[in-house]
Amino acid sequence: MNMLTVQDLRKSFGSFEAVKGVNFSVEKGESYGLLGPNGAGKSTTINMITGLFPPNSGEIKIKDIDVIKNPKQAQKWIGVVPQEIALYQSMSARENLKFWGRMYDLSGSELEKSVDRVLEIIGLTERAKDKVSTFSGGMKRRVNIGAAILHKPELLIMDEPTVGIDPQSRNHILETVKHLNGEGMTIIYTSHYMEEVEYLCERIGIVDHGQLIASGTLSELRETIGDHSKIILSIDKESSNLEGLAQSLTGLFSEKDIQIQEQQVMVFHKEPQLILTDFIQSVAKTGTKITSVNIVEPNLESVFLHLTGRNLRD
Amino acid sequence: MRFLWLAVKDLTLVARDKKAFLTLIMMPLLLIAILGSAFGNMMKEDEVVSIKKFTLGVVNLDQGQLSKVLTEEVFSKNLSKQIAVKYYQEEELYKKIQDHKLEIGIVIDKDFTQSIMSGQGTKIQLITVPDTVIKATIVQNVIEQFSWSVPIEAVVSQMSQPVQAGNQGGIDMEGYGEKPLINETTIDAKTKPVSSFQYYAAAMGVMFLLMTVVQGVSTMVLEKEQEVFNRLLLTNLTYSNYLLGKMLGLITICLTQAFIIILGTSLLFGVGWGASVSGIIVMTLAFVINASGLGVLAGSFMKTEKSFGVAGMFATQIMAALGGSMVPLYVFPDWVVFITKFLPNGLALQTYLDLMSGAVISKILPAIAASVGFGLFFFALGLIRLSMERRGKYA
Ligand SMILES: Nc1ncnc2c1ncn2[C@@H]1O[C@H](COP(=O)(O)OP(=O)(O)OP(=O)(O)O)[C@@H](O)[C@H]1O
Ligand SMILES: [Mg+2]
Repeated sequence: MNMLTVQDLRKSFGSFEAVKGVNFSVEKGESYGLLGPNGAGKSTTINMITGLFPPNSGEIKIKDIDVIKNPKQAQKWIGVVPQEIALYQSMSARENLKFWGRMYDLSGSELEKSVDRVLEIIGLTERAKDKVSTFSGGMKRRVNIGAAILHKPELLIMDEPTVGIDPQSRNHILETVKHLNGEGMTIIYTSHYMEEVEYLCERIGIVDHGQLIASGTLSELRETIGDHSKIILSIDKESSNLEGLAQSLTGLFSEKDIQIQEQQVMVFHKEPQLILTDFIQSVAKTGTKITSVNIVEPNLESVFLHLTGRNLRD
Repeated sequence: MRFLWLAVKDLTLVARDKKAFLTLIMMPLLLIAILGSAFGNMMKEDEVVSIKKFTLGVVNLDQGQLSKVLTEEVFSKNLSKQIAVKYYQEEELYKKIQDHKLEIGIVIDKDFTQSIMSGQGTKIQLITVPDTVIKATIVQNVIEQFSWSVPIEAVVSQMSQPVQAGNQGGIDMEGYGEKPLINETTIDAKTKPVSSFQYYAAAMGVMFLLMTVVQGVSTMVLEKEQEVFNRLLLTNLTYSNYLLGKMLGLITICLTQAFIIILGTSLLFGVGWGASVSGIIVMTLAFVINASGLGVLAGSFMKTEKSFGVAGMFATQIMAALGGSMVPLYVFPDWVVFITKFLPNGLALQTYLDLMSGAVISKILPAIAASVGFGLFFFALGLIRLSMERRGKYA
C-alpha cells in the first residue's frame, strides 16, 4: 500500500511557479529522499504534503485520505520536522516536548512515557531540564525532531533536518532516522547533501526548478549517467595550455565526456582504470603540470551534474 | 483541552519574560500614583471650565434659606459660565425633561435646609434623561460639596439650629419612577461623587489593560511569523482552538493586571471602586473579553509583528484618548460620550465610574452584556479571517 501519493502537484507564488507538476509515491516502510539545490521547491512540496497550504492543482493522498480536503485527519498520522527550528526558546527541552505532545492529545502517563522515550532517542535525557535557548544548533535540531515523533507517526517528513550543524550531531540525527525507519516508520527526507540521501534513502527523487527531474533507487539513478566515474586532474594554472588540452583530449574521448576548467580537467568514463594513464599522458604532453589525481565513483552529485549541467551546491 | 495547554504555554512564556512581567505589574501602579498626585487638584477645576454651558432646571420646594444659597449663589453666580439656572414648577420640569427640552433638573425637597443643618444628608432629587452622566455628575458633585461644607461652616460660625428628629430621609418617588425615559437619582450620602483620583485610577487601569492586550496580541503576531505557528497548525489544534487558547491566555493576563490595579490602588491610595465587588469583577471580565476579542481580531489581520506594533500602539493611543483615559470625558458633548461606549475601554471606563458612584450590578448588566457580546463577535470575525487567510495563503 502506498503511504503517500502525489500527483501533478503545482504551486505558484504570484507569477512565480515554485512547483511545476510533481509526481511521486512512497510505500509504507520506505525511506524516500528528495534531493535538490536551494530554491528547488523541496520545502514548498513538503508544506503542501503536510497540509500547511493547498496546492494550486494536483492531488495528495496519505494512505487513502485526501490531504487537501481533510488535512486534520491526515495530520494525525504524520510527524513533521520543519526546516527551521520550531520550538519555544525559553522553555526547557522537556517542557517543549510535553507541550507538543499535548497538542497531539497525549496526556498523563502516556505523555510522560512518550517524552522520556523521545529524550532517549534524541540523546538529550541529561539536558532535558535546560532551556532550549542554551542549546547548540545541533541539540536544537534534535529537539526539533523529537517534537515530531512524540505521537509515533506512521509517516515522518523531515525538511533538511541537518542544515548548519556539527558533524557529531549530524551523525546522531542520521542514526536516529535510520533507527526509526528500521522500526517501520516511513520516512521522507529532503536535503541538498547527497551523502545523507545516499546513506538513508532507498529511493530518491531529484528536484530542480520545481520539477522532479529523476527518480529511482541509487543504482537506477547511476544508470542514467551510464554509471560513469569521474577522473579529476587538478592542474597548475600557470603552466596550463587550455587550447592545447582541448585538442589533445578530443582525440581520445568524446566531447561530452570532457570538462576543462582553469584549475582542473575532468573526464567521465565507465572504466576509469583503463584510461587513466592515457588521460594523464595526453594532459602532460601539453606541458601542463598536474598537481593531483582523483577518481570519483558515480554518485548523486555527478547524476545531478549530468542532468542539469550544474553542481548541487556551489 | 488543547486550547487550555496553549494558554498555559503562553502564560509560562510571559512569566519567564522579565521585561513583560515587570511591565505587567509595576508600570500600572507607578503611573497611577504619579498621575493621581499630579492631577489630583487640577482636574476638578479643568473639568468644569471646559464643558459646554448647559441649563439646569430647578424646582425649589424648600422653606429654608440654604436652597437659595445653593441655587442663586453657587449655581447661578459661581458657576455662571457653565450652568444657566431656570426655575420651574414640579410638573413643568418633568415635562420639559421628558420632551428632551431640558436634560437635567433638580427638585429641592421642602426639608432641604433643615436636613442639611441637622446633618441628615441632602434632600434633592436629580432628574435626568439617560446618558447625561457627565452633566449629572457635575451637578451632583456641586450639591455634595455644598451639603458637606455647609454644616461644617455652620458649626464653626455657631449658627447651628436645633436638631429636629423625626425627619425621614427617604426617597420621594411619587409615581415618577414609572417613567422609563427619566433617570431619577436621589442624592443622599449613599451616592458619592467620583474624585479625580478615582477617575484616573479607572482611566489608567483601562488604558493599561488595552496596552497589555496590544502586547499580548503582538506576541501572537510574532508567533505567527515564526515556525512554531506552522507547527501548531500541523498538530491536532484547530483554528478555533488556537484563537480560544490565545484569548484565554490574554484574558488571564489582563485579569491579573486588573486585579493588581484595582487592589493596589484601593489598598495603597485608598481609591474606592464602588461597593459592588461582584459588579467590578464581572465588568472587568466583560471588558477583558471585549478588548481581547478586538485584539485577537486585529492580530488575525496582521502579517508582521512590526506592522502590528506600530498600528497597535497608534490605535491604543486613539482609543485611550477617545475613551477618556487622557482627557476627562466631561469635556466631550454627550453624543460623543455615547459613541465612545462602542470602544471597549470607553464602555469599561464609564461603567467603572458608575460603579464608583454607587451603581449596583443590576444597573450595569446592559454594559456587561454589550461588552461580552462585542468580544464574542470580534472573536468570531477573527476565526473567519484566520481560516480564510490559510486557504488563500501565498496564492
Ligand atoms: N512564501 C513564498 N513567497 C514567494 N516565493 C516563495 C515562497 N516560498 C518559497 N518561494 C520561492 O519558491 C522557490 C522554492 O522555494 P522552497 O523553499 O520550496 O525551496 P527549497 O527547495 O526548500 O530550498 P532550500 O533548500 O533553500 O530550503 C524559491 O525560489 C523561493 O524563493
Ligand atoms: Mg527548503
